[in-house]
Amino acid sequence: MNINLDEIFDYTSFNVDREPHIKLNEEICKTCDQRACTNCCPARCYTWDEESQKMTFVHDGCLECGTCYVVCGNNAFTRWRYPRGGFGVSYRMT
Amino acid sequence: MKRTFDAIVVGAGPAGSSAALTMARAGLSVALVERGSFPGEKNMFGGVLHRMTALEDVFPDFWNQAPLERHIVKKGLTFITEESSFNVNFDTEHNDTPPYNGYTVSRPKFDRWLAEEAVKAGATLLTHSTVDDVIKKEGRVVGVSLLRDGAELLAPIVIAADGVLSFTAAKAGLKRPQFDPSEVAVGIKALVEMPHDVINDRFGLVCEQGASNEIVGCTSGVRGGSFIYTNYDSLSLGMVLHLSSLNSSGKTPYDLLNEFMKQPQIAKLLRGGRLLEYSAHLVPEGGYNMIPQLFDDGIMVAGDAAGFCIVTGINLEGINQATQSGVFAGKAAIQAHEQRDFSKASLAVYKKMLENSFVLKDLKLYRKTPKMLHNDRIYSQYSDLVCSMMEDVYRIDGAPKETMTKLVLRNVKEKVGLKNMLADVYGGWRAL
Repeated sequence: MNINLDEIFDYTSFNVDREPHIKLNEEICKTCDQRACTNCCPARCYTWDEESQKMTFVHDGCLECGTCYVVCGNNAFTRWRYPRGGFGVSYRMT
Repeated sequence: MKRTFDAIVVGAGPAGSSAALTMARAGLSVALVERGSFPGEKNMFGGVLHRMTALEDVFPDFWNQAPLERHIVKKGLTFITEESSFNVNFDTEHNDTPPYNGYTVSRPKFDRWLAEEAVKAGATLLTHSTVDDVIKKEGRVVGVSLLRDGAELLAPIVIAADGVLSFTAAKAGLKRPQFDPSEVAVGIKALVEMPHDVINDRFGLVCEQGASNEIVGCTSGVRGGSFIYTNYDSLSLGMVLHLSSLNSSGKTPYDLLNEFMKQPQIAKLLRGGRLLEYSAHLVPEGGYNMIPQLFDDGIMVAGDAAGFCIVTGINLEGINQATQSGVFAGKAAIQAHEQRDFSKASLAVYKKMLENSFVLKDLKLYRKTPKMLHNDRIYSQYSDLVCSMMEDVYRIDGAPKETMTKLVLRNVKEKVGLKNMLADVYGGWRAL
């Protein structure tokens, strides 16, 4: 058994909101020396590209756990809230 | 749109629904506000629900009414390394008769049931409703606004039961919006499908008996541990990792969980299973020291939002505290309505009730435990020590034997160091 996050939409349900519930100021991420979000996020929503020096955040598979909110040492969020009612992750069995 | 109630509860989890149920049964008009499309949709936990004494007078035969998976008869603690594991099990018939000592539950089912009980008692459940802000008037909390359409819900009492991050409590000024990563852990979980009989055979259970097992040593040195709990026809298998330690390790939670699932003794338990769902949530692990201000004019904080969670490594509690605090907040609100006084002074009775119960007594008792559990040796060296010691004890290979004392001392010196061991035993004893 293996958890492959490329297939997360096969086993966890989401009702993805087009309006992201988390927004980043990527300029802050550029100067961050930790980027804790990239390894701590259990859904791998944050990826740092060393070559282009760019942080990419995709909210589609966000599990709404709040890890990034807690570990971000630079407060890089211009918005961090839960999705609008009815949107986001939808646990069925857990 | 504006609607007025006697009380508003933010979050239809165990704390919120318990509060709503308590108030609705006393005849108050209650709005139970939930951001999911149904209660439980956003909720996950490891999987073991302890006995909820706070609701036993409402549900005298709780185990016949609530949607439960299995009742726990067997508790295990496992020290694990890459190749070996040493397991301590406690199995008793005493836990095989009601009132049971604990259950495994599925949160989307259980939380939905509890919220529906609150609705049956008269509470108004508002799903699809994310709270945006608290409404204050002359410094007192008098309601909340919703993200959806800016709708306003007004009430002289708001109970913030919106989980570990609790933006409601933060916006009301009861706690800082920032967290210390050393006080918070992330829990991740794989739900694994497995036939009921196969689970019974592998875990030594019959009928609806359940097992819970905490595992230490499987996190590559990151502070935290794993768990395996048996549901009716699935296993909950996951890991809880301290955020500060996870961050400095550079490791990812899913890689650690994948490694754990490949450990030979764990892989045997999982053989043939199929991944059903993957989930994650934060756990407030700071204990007594991270409890926010619990009440103010027109507002109280309950459950995870208040940091009511006890992690000793042996028992992992939270829902029993959540339920109890929700019931107390509900009772305090009823009293406030009787006296028509919703001030801070009036709601102070909420904290008194918590102080006189297991909720704050236990948190106070274990206030040193979170710090003790910040000892990295627990996660990196002790499993290794235990397993290598057991291997030496059981090995018969023609070499002359050493005394048990010599064997233990040699292993302790090699793996942990005698001084460290003595310090840790003393620290552990004081903290637990």
